Amino acid sequence: MNRSEHKLCSFPKSLVRNQDLFAPAPFNAAESEKTGASNYSYWKSTLRTFFKSKAVVALVVLVCGIILMSFLYPVFSSVDPTKVSTDRQDWNLRPSLTHLFGTDGLGRDIFARAWYGCRNSFLLAFCIALSDVGIGMIMGALWGYNKKLDPIMIEIYNIMTNVPSTVYLVLLAYIMNTSYLTLFISMASRGWIVEARFFRNRILSIRDSEYNIASQCLGTPMRRIATRNIIPHIINLIIMEAALCIPYSIGSEVFLGFVGVGMPVDAITLGNMVNHGRGSFTLHPYQMLLPAAVLCIITVAFYVIGNKFADASDPRNHV
Amino acid sequence: MKKNLKQAEAASQQVLSPEEAAEKEALRAYESEILTQSAPHHAGPCLLSARDVTVKFNLRGKELTAIRGASLDVYEGETLAIVGESGSGKSVFTKTFVGMLDKNGRIDGGQLNFHGEDMAKYTKEAEWLKVRGKKIAMVFQDPMTSLNPVRTIGEQIAEVIMWHFGKTHDEAKAETIELLRKVGIHDPEARYKQYPGEFSGGMRQRVVIAVAIACRPEILICDEPTTALDVTVQAQVLDLIKSLQKEYKMSVVFITHDLGVVANVADWVAVMYAGKIVEYGTVHEIFKAAEHPYTKALLRSLPQLGTKGHDLYSIQGTPPSLFKEIKGDAFAPRNADAMKIDFEEEPPIFPVTDTHWARTWLLSPQAEVYRAELIKREAERMDNAVPEAPFNYNGAEPLLQVRDLSVQFKLSGKTFKAVDNVSFDIYKGETLSLVGESGSGKTTIGRAIMRIYTNNVSGKVTFKGDRITGKLSRHEKKKLHMEMQMIFQDPMASLNERAKVDYIISEGLYNYHLFENEEDRVAKVERILEEVGLTSEFVSRFPHEFSGGQRQRIGIARSLIMNPDFLVADEPISALDVSIRAQVINLLNKMKKERSLTYLFIAHDLSAVRFISDHIAVIHKGHLVELAPCEELFAHPLHPYTKALLSAVPHPDPDVERNKKLLHYDPAMHDYSTDKPVWVEITPGHFVYGNDAEIRAYRRELEL
Repeated sequence: MNRSEHKLCSFPKSLVRNQDLFAPAPFNAAESEKTGASNYSYWKSTLRTFFKSKAVVALVVLVCGIILMSFLYPVFSSVDPTKVSTDRQDWNLRPSLTHLFGTDGLGRDIFARAWYGCRNSFLLAFCIALSDVGIGMIMGALWGYNKKLDPIMIEIYNIMTNVPSTVYLVLLAYIMNTSYLTLFISMASRGWIVEARFFRNRILSIRDSEYNIASQCLGTPMRRIATRNIIPHIINLIIMEAALCIPYSIGSEVFLGFVGVGMPVDAITLGNMVNHGRGSFTLHPYQMLLPAAVLCIITVAFYVIGNKFADASDPRNHV
Repeated sequence: MKKNLKQAEAASQQVLSPEEAAEKEALRAYESEILTQSAPHHAGPCLLSARDVTVKFNLRGKELTAIRGASLDVYEGETLAIVGESGSGKSVFTKTFVGMLDKNGRIDGGQLNFHGEDMAKYTKEAEWLKVRGKKIAMVFQDPMTSLNPVRTIGEQIAEVIMWHFGKTHDEAKAETIELLRKVGIHDPEARYKQYPGEFSGGMRQRVVIAVAIACRPEILICDEPTTALDVTVQAQVLDLIKSLQKEYKMSVVFITHDLGVVANVADWVAVMYAGKIVEYGTVHEIFKAAEHPYTKALLRSLPQLGTKGHDLYSIQGTPPSLFKEIKGDAFAPRNADAMKIDFEEEPPIFPVTDTHWARTWLLSPQAEVYRAELIKREAERMDNAVPEAPFNYNGAEPLLQVRDLSVQFKLSGKTFKAVDNVSFDIYKGETLSLVGESGSGKTTIGRAIMRIYTNNVSGKVTFKGDRITGKLSRHEKKKLHMEMQMIFQDPMASLNERAKVDYIISEGLYNYHLFENEEDRVAKVERILEEVGLTSEFVSRFPHEFSGGQRQRIGIARSLIMNPDFLVADEPISALDVSIRAQVINLLNKMKKERSLTYLFIAHDLSAVRFISDHIAVIHKGHLVELAPCEELFAHPLHPYTKALLSAVPHPDPDVERNKKLLHYDPAMHDYSTDKPVWVEITPGHFVYGNDAEIRAYRRELEL
């Protein structure tokens, strides 16, 4: 069909425009490159997704509060957590306004002891998380980058993870004198291998991506590849793993205390408190339940925060 | 309060003066008249009719419009191709037909009429289940996403049949085997019991097609079903879809960005740009008489139409993303011949013939004069191009020599040779293309030359006469990094997401401290950015803010800042949109001339290769099978694999594409049991791999 005939039949008057507009417009090269920038930024989106849930905000506030309080408690209160009372009147008191969590069989204030216990348990857990994730990441990077290490590392991994952790922890803690250091060594000597394997798998997938090969072609030294190409891509995993490591360490400490090979009896940790409370559980259940409740709140909060952060840091969830 | 405001806003928008309302109504009637006037020319009645479909997405607190009022009809028994680049909304648009939009997306307006019901009003999943899979089925690009890896192929298909038709297991099994045979799977009884992992990519796509047609849908939507496949396999899958369509009398909606595929399968073509259908017509009208500037530019920028030694026609700029605010014609900012009105007002539909319409002001009778001028200008441009003389090999010195290169990989205990005894020379100033399908070892050769693989490489590679395989001193390595660089395939994966463009481009400079001071470095980065056509304001941005083509240019800048003599380009255009490819090809050619570069160009697409290369090497399963000067290879292909590859090349011309004869290559045809194959120079510069008997046959073929 002939075009010029066709368009005349139904061309509506309303489509007639000023004839001047049908002149060529100048071409702007810079304008043509503009795609329309998205408002995306990895960390902003991660934090936004993370804090979208009110429960997470509440938990983060709670955990920060507990950590802050456990370190600042001595400033606010002069109650000595180790002060033993010789007066029978002060023993095994029920929770009241003067003793929020009551007192134990020696008349010590459980509320004060809980804060001191939190502090010690936190310190221990932070140290363990630091060493587990730190050593694990370094070993994982070496493992991922060096194929020759593979057979050795897999053997070490198999041996260490196949021995039940409880047996291992109990044995080590039993051999050495009970102290903070012993507990740290027994937990840290084992925790890194799981982290190492986790990071090895992640680094393996990053290692062969094209931008890393590009760096290799440009002759980028290993140090800069690590700091610019790898760590920025796994920093979210580091944070997540550290957050998940803390409740695990606190839990292990409590467990060791529970079976009696944890900390020395006079050390104030959550594990020891739960352990002490166990003896008089039938008569004075609050002596065990209240520290256990604190413990639960802390571990659950850290688990939820760690997992929620893992979800939030996944770009697929950034909607 | 907020709600009231919104209502007031909505009300104020709705209140139009009577004249305006009448005008709007007249325009709508006019557009719908044009949309439906092709009806008598179609093979059957209209099945699905989409009108002014608008799709919105909520993304990080922003509301984005992905589809801005698209109208399209699907007629019975026809193949309709929707062409567009990534982000044009073609996938999103067809996903609305089956109610499969992502969670954060919704249909915001318009109608989807199918069997007397408006599917745009569906809210419940149950309503969609009546349509999805039964009446309208979909085949996706990546077959692995639609198959369950831990269940056998047969059970997955049989389940669909049992579910939809209420058949017994045995009946369903018999029908499944019949279906598998129909989609071209040999020995379907045995294949029935296999898992998706045991199938090759092409076979998997056949299985997905079998699942999709199991319910005898009226409409089959194929979303880039062959993009992930090799050219030879692609041609076979297209043939399969075509024959199934004839057999079942289905309507097929084919979504693709590949114009060659469109020319092959489509009866009707709709071109989509920035969430709107901009042109619609029969396949011949679109390919031979396109009217919209975007369609025209797309067709012109194909490397098949280029003249060697000249710039390809290329579309400037970058396709708009959802974040861009669009005023007037969305393509206007990239259209060098745009009119003023294109920036002011969205063009309406203008009819070209009964079966062809386009959304461009150029078709307005008021633009008649300018339109004639453009046509004249284009004719002149075509006449003026004279092809450049082929590369002169007399006296050319080899820059890179590869001798007996083999690369081995260990895969679950077994070693296998990804590259087997490959030898070739690259001369200074030429472009040698390495062509082969995925898994043929072409990328491995490139990486072995770049010394990404070192321990598992045997053979010898020399660069400027010096051996570069094996152990090298620090100084030698540095020298190589300054002289040889690489460009990568995937613009998404090849840039470090967490680094700014400034660092990405300067990485090489930092490594060898190739700058005097900070100012010098910044100046160098800005100069190279300008050379690749980007502005210096981009340095402080992160890669995700760029489109694929821009990212690829950043990658090119990163390697060129080292001032190399030799570049390995590993499929630099295969992941790019059609409108961007020409830009990158032109850029590579320009750099080659200005910096007297030598390229090893790795590709699987022969059409682009013909335009840019001087020499072509064809590789199959780790063996080079043929190497010849570019035109010689196209004129006298000898090895059967080369012939098969050439026969499968898509042409952007429906007449050629429909009459092309596919050749199949089966490696079993060679009998190398007694007579071992060798790499022979059969005529000067033309090498082929074969045994004595084959070489004799090739010689005879050349003499004829």
